[in-house]
Amino acid sequence: MALSKEVYKEFEDVVGEENICADPAIMPAYFSVEFAAVILPKDTAEVQAIVKLCNKHKLQFRAICTGWTGGFPKDIILLDLRRMNHIIEINEKNMYAVVEPYVISAELQAELFKRGLNFCIKGAGTNCTAMLRGHGHMDQTTSGDDRNHLAIEWITPEGDIVRSGSLGSSDEWFCGDGPGPSIRSILTSAVPPGVTPGVFTKAAIKLYHWPGPASYPIEGLSPKYTLREIPPNMMARYYSFPSVEKMWQAELNIGESEIAFELMGFNVAMVACNITTCNEEEEGVFKRLNSEIQGPGFFIIIAGNSAEDFAYKKRVLDKIISDADGKSLKSVEDPEIEGILLCQCTRISASIRETFRAGGAFNSIPIMGQRDLTIKWAIGAGKAKEPLIEKGLIVDDGGAFFGWGVEQGHLGKTEIFCKFDPSNPQAKKAVEDWQKEQSDRAFKERYFANLHMAKPDEVSKDLSNYYVWWQKLTKALDPNGVSPEAGALV
Amino acid sequence: MALEDYQGDMGMCCRCSACKFIPMQKVKGAAFSYVCPSISRYNFHAYSGGGRLNIAASMLKNGFNYTDKLLDIVYNCQMCGACGVSCNYAMDMEVLEPISEFRLKCVEDGKTNPALDKVIAGLRKQGSMVPAKGKRGDWAAGLNLKDATKEKVDVLYHVGCLTSYDKDMQKLAKATVKILQKAGVNFGIAGNAESCCGGRAYQMGYKEDFLNQAKKNMAMIKKAGVKTLVTACADGYQAFKVLYDRYDLKGDLEVLHISEYIYKLIKDGKLKPRRKVNISVTYHDPCRLGRLGEPWIHWKGKKVPGDRFVFDPPKEYRRGTKGVYEPPRDVLKGIPGLKLTEMTRIKEYSWCCGAGGGVNESNPAFAKWTAQDRVKEAESTGAEAIVTACPWCEKTFNEAIKESGSSLKVYDIVELVEKAI
Repeated sequence: MALSKEVYKEFEDVVGEENICADPAIMPAYFSVEFAAVILPKDTAEVQAIVKLCNKHKLQFRAICTGWTGGFPKDIILLDLRRMNHIIEINEKNMYAVVEPYVISAELQAELFKRGLNFCIKGAGTNCTAMLRGHGHMDQTTSGDDRNHLAIEWITPEGDIVRSGSLGSSDEWFCGDGPGPSIRSILTSAVPPGVTPGVFTKAAIKLYHWPGPASYPIEGLSPKYTLREIPPNMMARYYSFPSVEKMWQAELNIGESEIAFELMGFNVAMVACNITTCNEEEEGVFKRLNSEIQGPGFFIIIAGNSAEDFAYKKRVLDKIISDADGKSLKSVEDPEIEGILLCQCTRISASIRETFRAGGAFNSIPIMGQRDLTIKWAIGAGKAKEPLIEKGLIVDDGGAFFGWGVEQGHLGKTEIFCKFDPSNPQAKKAVEDWQKEQSDRAFKERYFANLHMAKPDEVSKDLSNYYVWWQKLTKALDPNGVSPEAGALV
Repeated sequence: MALEDYQGDMGMCCRCSACKFIPMQKVKGAAFSYVCPSISRYNFHAYSGGGRLNIAASMLKNGFNYTDKLLDIVYNCQMCGACGVSCNYAMDMEVLEPISEFRLKCVEDGKTNPALDKVIAGLRKQGSMVPAKGKRGDWAAGLNLKDATKEKVDVLYHVGCLTSYDKDMQKLAKATVKILQKAGVNFGIAGNAESCCGGRAYQMGYKEDFLNQAKKNMAMIKKAGVKTLVTACADGYQAFKVLYDRYDLKGDLEVLHISEYIYKLIKDGKLKPRRKVNISVTYHDPCRLGRLGEPWIHWKGKKVPGDRFVFDPPKEYRRGTKGVYEPPRDVLKGIPGLKLTEMTRIKEYSWCCGAGGGVNESNPAFAKWTAQDRVKEAESTGAEAIVTACPWCEKTFNEAIKESGSSLKVYDIVELVEKAI
């Protein structure tokens, strides 16, 4: 549906001629969807004006940040927020940063490191918006999910500006729940569509202490950056265990003793992806690492605030690992490999190696909940991957899963994915079937899986009829139906 | 290879936006984090490396629907290759090659840019990418240089179009000559017989014109019995070293950039920079000396059927790792009194000067905008001057500085070496 000249002109008057385009040439660059127009607003006022125009003309819209993923109905107005790329404030005293949607995590984190601060970067990677809500490698120290969003500036689907939490009653961003309107359940809801209708134009992000260097001493050339030296009081290791039970016990003890800066339940396939620079090398390294481990394992970073603190944490770690019969993977003790992992797994800069490099696509099932139980589910999902691996439809990662505990480690996220070649229809179908079957199994076994794989009516009744309520809410928030449900905002 | 041959690579784009930024580990903050001038200036995703791949893939599938906007996207790209370096930190796929093939296809299909057509008309008529006023070898009048087409020389100094014809740039040729003479090199020039390397024509999408120039140059070089070619132009360096090799035209010709050659002369004790040059500088890596100066890798193979994007025989990607990065830095560091400070975006992820890909001719305002961003970055180091190793960079920086009123000075590396010897 092409916009009429008059309607196009109304949008153009808001953003200027250079910042709106309806030419079919640009559409495939975004997604395989024809949009009515792509618009590049520069600030909150322009977003609000665009949303109001969408309501006036009953045009659906969606906004993207860097636009990695998302679902998009045909003929909508796409708001590409690329011009909204400013760090508004870094408040060291109150430990929050305020960002616009196109500030990527790498930019914010680099600024924070200089100030001895850090924030939760999602597993999707540091190339994504710093506003992205979710879980990441550093959850043990930065927590995860909606806890890290403080006050938010939100353009509702009708075009009103809502400032949540402390921002609702003052110019301060320090709290998402007050003094002022707390609408956390709407703004950072974990239920579908996984993203709030309307547009977030600014968000305050909670900050945490960073015990590492102001910047890493990187040397070498892409794609192999190494550290000139391991920064003081930091250490990265990979431990494998004789059984899942022992691994879980060690994870739990580490969480409870609060010694880990990061505990990432990588499998060795993911370690291999991180430390290699191409697909061929990765296959070989995976096989080698796989032969060096005794069973399931995890990757851990210890970071001390002083030499004494570091020594203490290491002693505790040694005891926990020893009690659980853990074994350190020698390859990761090599300072070059250790440095690569330290840097990549705190700057979250190799997620793409782990997911897309092998075949070009991956489908994933993330499960939230008590780690030991979700791991049990993931073992079954891993077994179900084996026939696909045998047929050569997905990349051989040993049927492995991964995950990590949040904060003290009892709760966490467990995830499993299949990497495949999306141009192979047989592989694509096999992976989609696997994803559907294993998600269904998760719901049947009462795990909280990704709801976009579920039929809302079927699972809603087991989850307080969330879907009924969500539909009521969205109807109230979006009476003109201009803000369609779709995938996550990345 | 044609655009079709990169279908698999284009299909690998996961739309992660890494192509817009310098490699993530190298991001030092909110400033100077972008690597692609085109997306930075025009903002629509279509202007990014990934966006270009997605468009090309879609057009291969659904037919080529040329619109003014599409051509605006195609020609507003310096073809600097920075997108590919950032992508290839994590991914195994070609990025610049399909973008380049897409532009070649546009030209083949007659969808050209009028400003570039004009430049190419000049090339066809005068063998130059810049308006040729006078004769190509006029700058050397009175210098008594050897004519490499007639006399036996060890080194052919290929001067290049801009340095030969632009009166403001001829100082670079003279400085180069002084350096080579000081080191006692048996060198010559081709004078009026020199012709454009064709590299910039290739960047603009005019493959046939590039090939014509390459064949003409190599015929002259073979006839003269030249074994080593030295150039002080990064475009020329990339053309002779990489593009000629790619099209199997280079033969055994040794191609060196003047910075590499000076480094070698100093190492061999033939050149000694003794005089103090008290200046603080920062060094700009020209795209075609750095990441795009990496040797061509001849490879032919097929994708191995199955789950991974791997090939038989295994494919080695050109990730910008093997460009010329250290020799110019080592030369600068060897100049007494000179202090070198690095910018944020350097070496394989250096920001382009703005002049490449025909942008200098088709959209000078965009070229200047790009150069201004680099000037700001250079200023942020506190350096008095930005040093480059390509006349096109120097010209664009000077234009940007003139407009912005910056007090930053611009030098080519040969100018500073000339001062030091």
